[in-house]
Amino acid sequence: MHVSQQIITLARLVILTLVPYVLAAQGTMLGGRAGVFSVAQEGIMLVSAVVGFLGAYYTGSLFYGALLAMLAGGLVGLAFAYFTTTLKMDQFVIGLALFFATAGLSTLIYKIAIGVTLKPPLIPTLQDIPIPLLERIPFLGDILFRQNVFVYFTIFLSVGLWYLLYRTGLGLEIRSVGENPLAADSLGVNVTLVRYATTIVGGMLMGLAGAYLPMAYTGTFTEDIVRGRGWLSIALTYFGGWAPHTIFLAALFFAGVEVFAFRAQVTGIGIPYQFLLMLPYIATILVMIPGFRWAREPAFLGKNYDREKRGIS
Amino acid sequence: MGTHLVSMQGIRKTFGDVVALDNVDFHLEKGEIHGLLGGNGAGKTTLMNVLYGLYQPDAGKIYIRGQEVRIRSPRDALAHGIGMVHQHFLQVPPFTVVENIVLGTLPKLRATTHLEEEIGKIRALAERFGLEVDPLARVEDLPVGVRQRVEILKVLYRGVDILILDEPTTNLTPQEVDALFQSLRFMVDQGLSVVFITHKIREVMAVCDRVTVLRDGRNVFTVSLKETDEETLVRGMVGEQLDVATSFLFSGRREEARPRSFGPPRVEVEDFAVMGDDGTLAVDGCTFHVRAGEIFGLAGVAGNGQRELAEGLMGLRAVARGRAHVNGIPVQEGATREILNSGVAYIPEDRLEDGFLPRASVAHNLILGYHTRPPYRKGWFLDWRLVFQTAWDLIREYNIRTRGPHDIAANLSGGNIQRLMLARAFAHPMKVLIAHNPTRGLDIPSMEFVYRKLLEQRAQGVAILLISEDLDELLLLSDRLGAMYEGRILGILEHPPFDKYVIGRMMAGIPAETR
Repeated sequence: MHVSQQIITLARLVILTLVPYVLAAQGTMLGGRAGVFSVAQEGIMLVSAVVGFLGAYYTGSLFYGALLAMLAGGLVGLAFAYFTTTLKMDQFVIGLALFFATAGLSTLIYKIAIGVTLKPPLIPTLQDIPIPLLERIPFLGDILFRQNVFVYFTIFLSVGLWYLLYRTGLGLEIRSVGENPLAADSLGVNVTLVRYATTIVGGMLMGLAGAYLPMAYTGTFTEDIVRGRGWLSIALTYFGGWAPHTIFLAALFFAGVEVFAFRAQVTGIGIPYQFLLMLPYIATILVMIPGFRWAREPAFLGKNYDREKRGIS
Repeated sequence: MGTHLVSMQGIRKTFGDVVALDNVDFHLEKGEIHGLLGGNGAGKTTLMNVLYGLYQPDAGKIYIRGQEVRIRSPRDALAHGIGMVHQHFLQVPPFTVVENIVLGTLPKLRATTHLEEEIGKIRALAERFGLEVDPLARVEDLPVGVRQRVEILKVLYRGVDILILDEPTTNLTPQEVDALFQSLRFMVDQGLSVVFITHKIREVMAVCDRVTVLRDGRNVFTVSLKETDEETLVRGMVGEQLDVATSFLFSGRREEARPRSFGPPRVEVEDFAVMGDDGTLAVDGCTFHVRAGEIFGLAGVAGNGQRELAEGLMGLRAVARGRAHVNGIPVQEGATREILNSGVAYIPEDRLEDGFLPRASVAHNLILGYHTRPPYRKGWFLDWRLVFQTAWDLIREYNIRTRGPHDIAANLSGGNIQRLMLARAFAHPMKVLIAHNPTRGLDIPSMEFVYRKLLEQRAQGVAILLISEDLDELLLLSDRLGAMYEGRILGILEHPPFDKYVIGRMMAGIPAETR
C-alpha cells in the first residue's frame, strides 16, 4: 500500500470512530445549554444500541432500527426532564439512576428477545453512500464523501446545531435558559418547554449514537458494546467548550487517539496492549487539565429552576 | 372601581407558614409615579411579583383597566402591558445588550445576524427616554448604572405602559440616581405609569406622586405626596417599634460642636493588593489607615474589590503586594486566628457563606471564632454553662427570633442570621471592627440598633472600618470617607460634611480633587 493510501484509510477510520462521540456529546451539549446536565449517556447508548439492533433485526431495515433507537433515547430524555424539571430532583442523582436502570434494561431486553445463543444474530452493517461529484475531490472525497449516512448526518447536525444556537431566535432562548432561567422566564420564555425539548432531543441524539455501534462496527449486540463512550462524551463536551463546532473538533482529537491506540495494538510496537487501551482515557485526563480552565460551561448547568422557590424580600 | 389602571384587592400570599402579604390592596392610576414604601420584609417586592405573574396569590383579585385578570406568568403580565425591573438584574451576562433586550420576542427561526431593525428601535427608545446605551456592548462589560438602563429598555421594548421598578437605585451613584429620576419623569409625561418600590423616604419625596406604605405584609396607608410629610411616612413604615423623634437614623447626623479627636492608627494599609477569585488583582494598591475612635467609611459599587479587601485584611486571602497591619499584627494569609485573638471583630458580607454554620446550633454560632479563648475555654474544654448563658443573654439583647440556643441556626431567617452575627461581633471586647454591609437585609428598627452600636463602639475607642454599598449609611456614620473603584481607593474625604456627588464621581471611577 502507498503511504497516501494508508493515510486515507486511517483518516476514514477516524471519521468512522468520531460519529458516536459527536452524536452523544452534541446531545449532552444541547440539554446542557438549557441547564439540564445528564450523566446517563452510557446507559442511554446501551439501551438504544439494543433497541436499534433488534429493530433492524426484526424489521430488516437499519432505518427503522435507528428510528426506534432514537425513540428509546428520547423516552429516557423525557423521563430525565420529568424528574428534574417537573419534580425538581437532583440532576446528578437522577442521571446516575437512569444510567443504572437503562444499562440493566439493555441486557434484559436482549436476553428476552434473543436469549442465549451459540451463534449471535447479525444485522447487515451500514453501506457507504458516495456523494456524486464531491466524492471525486482528491483525498477529501475518499475520506469524507464515501461514507455511511450517519457520517453525513453527524456533520450536518454539528453545523445545524451551531446555526440554531448562535444564529436564531430560538437558539438565543435556549442559551438564555441555561445561563439565567429567571431572566428568560421574566421575558416570557417558556423555560419548562425549552428544558423538556432540549433534553428529549438530546436523548434522541444519544440514542442514535448507541444505534450506530452495532450498525457500523459489529453487526451484533454485546453487553460491552459502548465501552465507556458515553462517559467519554461528557468529558468531550467540556473539552469542546459546550459549543457544537468545537465539540466536533474535539471529537476529531479523541477519535484520532483511539484509532492510534488501535493501530498500535495491531502493528505491535512493544507496548503492552493494556496500556494502549488506556490511552483514550489518559488522553482525556491530560486534555481536561487545560480543558477545564478553557471551557466556560453554561452558568446554570445542572441546576433546577423553581420560579417560586425564593424567600420574601 | 373600574377607573383605576391597576387594582389589586385583598391579595394574600404565604410561603410555608410565613404570611408575606395579608389582605393587601393597591391601586395604580394612569400617568403617576406611585411609590411602594416599606422596610425589609414589608412585602413590597412580593406584591409586585404577584402582579408580574412570578408568584401566584393565595387569595385576592387583580383588575387591569377595569377587567378582572389572572396573571399566571410574566408572559401574561407583559401581554397586559406590565413590565418589571428587578433589583437583581435579570440579565444574561455573556449576551449583548440587544440580545438581552430582544430575547423572547424574536420568531423562533428568525436569524439573529441581522438585528438592525431591532437595534434601531432600541436606539429610538433610548433617545426618547434618556437611557443612553450601546446596543452591541456585552452586558457583562457594562457598569451597573448602564445595566439598569438595559433592564428598563428591556421592558419598554415590549411596549409596556406600566413599569414596576424594584429598588432601582441600589448600587447607583448619586449622579445616576438623578438621571434615572429624570428618565422616569420623561416616561410619565409620555403616558406611562410607574410603580417605584423603595425603602428610602427621600426617594419617595423626590420622585413620587402618591405613595402606598406597607408594613409586615399589610397596608398602612396610601396618600398623595402633597398631603403628607417625611415624618408621617417614617411613622407609617416603622409603626410603634421605633421612637422616631429620638431616632438617629431619621434625625440625621448632628455635627459635634468641636472636632473629634482620634487615637493612634489601628489599621494601617499601604499599597495593599489582593488577588481575586479569577486570578486578577481584585485589590490593586490601597493605602489608608483607621484610627482608634473613628469610623472610616468605604463606599463603592458592589464588586469593586471591597470583599477581597476585607478578606485580605482578615488574613483570608494571599497578599499579592504591599503591607497591612491590623491591630498591630502584620497581615498575611493564615494569620486570621492571630488577628481575631488580638481583638478584631469581623462582620463578613455574605452572611450565608462566611462566618455562619447553618447545621450548628445558635449557641455554637454565637461563640464561633471566640471559642478558643477564655472565658469560653477552660483548659482543654469549653465551659458550656457559660456558653449557653451568654447565648440566652445575647438572644434577648439582640432580639434574635429563635426557639433557643439549642435550635440549629439554619432555622433562622435572613434578618435574624444578621442579628446573630452582629451579636457575636459586638458582644466581645474589641479594638478593631471590620464590618461589610452590616445592615443589609435588616428592618428599620434593627438598622437603628446597629448604628447605635457602631457609635457606642466608636465612643469606646474602637477603630471601625465600615465597608458599605449604602451611601446614606456611610454619609450618616463616617468620620472619614473613601470610595473604592476597581480595586483602588480613588480618594478620601477627610471630614464631614461629605459631598455625595464627589463620592458618586469616585464610585464611577473619576478621582476626586484633593481637598
